[in-house]
Amino acid sequence: MADRDFYDILGVPRTAGPEEIQRAYRKLARSYHPDVNKDPEAEDRFKEVSEAYDVLSDPDTRRRYDAFGRDFRQVPEGVDPAAYARTGAGAGTGGRAGWARRPAGQEVRFDTGEGIDFEELFGGMFGGRGGRAGRRWGPMPGADQEAELPLTVEEAYRGGHRTITLPHRGGSRPLEITIPPGVRNGQRIRLAGQGGEGAGGAKSGDLYLIARITDHPRYRVEGRDVHVRLPLTPSEAALGATVAVETPGGEAKVKVPPGSSSGRRLRLRGQGMPNPRGDPGDLFAEVQIMVPRTLSAEERRLYEQLADVSGFNPRSASDGRTRP
Amino acid sequence: MSHLLVRLPLLDLESFARATGLHPELVRRLVALGLFDAFRDATGDLCFPPSQLAAAGRFQRLHTQLAVNYASLGLVADLLDRIAELEAALRTRARTPGGVPWT
Repeated sequence: MADRDFYDILGVPRTAGPEEIQRAYRKLARSYHPDVNKDPEAEDRFKEVSEAYDVLSDPDTRRRYDAFGRDFRQVPEGVDPAAYARTGAGAGTGGRAGWARRPAGQEVRFDTGEGIDFEELFGGMFGGRGGRAGRRWGPMPGADQEAELPLTVEEAYRGGHRTITLPHRGGSRPLEITIPPGVRNGQRIRLAGQGGEGAGGAKSGDLYLIARITDHPRYRVEGRDVHVRLPLTPSEAALGATVAVETPGGEAKVKVPPGSSSGRRLRLRGQGMPNPRGDPGDLFAEVQIMVPRTLSAEERRLYEQLADVSGFNPRSASDGRTRP
Repeated sequence: MSHLLVRLPLLDLESFARATGLHPELVRRLVALGLFDAFRDATGDLCFPPSQLAAAGRFQRLHTQLAVNYASLGLVADLLDRIAELEAALRTRARTPGGVPWT
């Protein structure tokens, strides 16, 4: 962030007039204001845009920025830009084509006796905006932020620890978070004080992580209930069986009653997502009768024999049972 | 979603003004504009739930950083709240969790 050209940040040419600069700033400020845009990255962008506007909206600081580049605050009044460039300070080009970075190890010193505290300058930036408009507010707390937290069904079931990376002052910062077991899709996890930074000593906002349970090939989660498919052979479905089914918490046994058709839902009470504050969800195993793509000669003979003796017609208007 | 298990004490005007860095008279003006949820205590003095500190922070940011004037702050805050509610509803309704329905 520190190296970007202020004109590039605002998306205006170096020849832009004050109105164009203000228009660009207002538009970007509305997009990235931390109360409008909850993305943690937006705060850095907003600070960047505000800093660029602070400099370019003032004719004097803009002139100095054009002459000396990013280091203009460290250049005392009255320094000739051409002389400054000759010292190899990095400004070099008089602004129009940008400036090169200072070669490693090369320092330019001006003994002015003036110390510039960039933190103070930056920290006061928010207040500074209001200062122009007649500031009557005190320290300003940081805004709350939101970020999405993608979780697999298994991660949401078990909970646990995870390290996430958040944008921070142009870089990034890691954050260790605890995911409660049984977190629901769309649930907000609050991390107090981890949101936007406050100004003037005020406290930071909160960061809300919004749990997003990702698609799973086997499970479908609705609230705390988990739905799974339960493939059965025709004989298991007709005669009943006890079969194993995978759940997010491990394997469970399902007792299939005789005469279960496809679509029947068998409930395993309490086998859904856990609930730290109450009853866990249920697991619903939905019967899906599968048949082999090809039959052996013996299987074919027996199926044909079954078809001859069975009076079952699933397409009849009654309960499917017809007299032979 | 959090639920309060205990009732937090209300802040009187002086405490609220000190905590927000606002002049008490400005707080009165903002209450008159309907920006703060304020109550009257038994003696008729203004008092504020602690939740209004966060609201004050938002008004402060919108006013100083986006130059939203006091009269417009309420509308802007209401619209931002409605957008947040709609976005939250979209997040839970727009997609079927767990992928394409197979039933």
